[in-house]
Amino acid sequence: MKCAEMIESETPKVSAVAQANNEVRLPMGILGFEQIKDYVLLVNPEEEPFAWLQVKANASLAFVVVDPFLVMPNYQPDIPEADVEFLGLRNTSDALLLNIVTIHGPHRATINLKGPIVINRHTHIGKQIIIANAVDYSVQHPLPVAGSIE
Amino acid sequence: MLILSRKSGESIVIDGRIHVKIVRVEGDVVKVGIGAPVDVPVHRQEVYDEIQRSNRQALTRPRKLSGLPKLAGGTTKAHPLAGRATNTAKKVVLPGK
Repeated sequence: MKCAEMIESETPKVSAVAQANNEVRLPMGILGFEQIKDYVLLVNPEEEPFAWLQVKANASLAFVVVDPFLVMPNYQPDIPEADVEFLGLRNTSDALLLNIVTIHGPHRATINLKGPIVINRHTHIGKQIIIANAVDYSVQHPLPVAGSIE
Repeated sequence: MLILSRKSGESIVIDGRIHVKIVRVEGDVVKVGIGAPVDVPVHRQEVYDEIQRSNRQALTRPRKLSGLPKLAGGTTKAHPLAGRATNTAKKVVLPGK
């Protein structure tokens, strides 16, 4: 499926109705939001590599996420065995990683590299995990935003 | 809070399924081994708190956001669940792989 089919071009992107196959279930929620388990992954091609992980029950709440390997080619998250088992991952290619981005302003954004959301591409079940090598990474690693003075 | 004294090598069992063992004591560092079922998340408190704080800060109300910042430099386009899967997760380290 093409992304363009998921999102009507003239309507606000995040309020677009997503296809069922872009739904993601996080049985343990996101740390701090344990009670919110159902999300929809929305992508607007103009905003890539960012995407929206929107709360399914509340279209006005969303996390901005990004595939970390697109912005941090050297990222090497070590996923604990218990999480691999929980998610039913057999190969690294089964895993989709989305890391939460904090938008601090038009010229500053950071990515959480300690706690990626790992999703099984086949089951669409995911979990925000704490990587075993969290000590090597920051929860607010600056992204190279255009126009940034950093 | 229940406070127990334990020696190195001794354990505590919680709810019949969570085992906490004092592995070693070196000065002011205590090595603790924890055995728990996969549905019981175990985290270092400070890392857990840090991620929770960051998540709270990151949650946005999209309609109020004028737009996402543009990233400097090019990135490859990829979209994961929408069929253009690119197996970008090559560098993920899975135990025993």
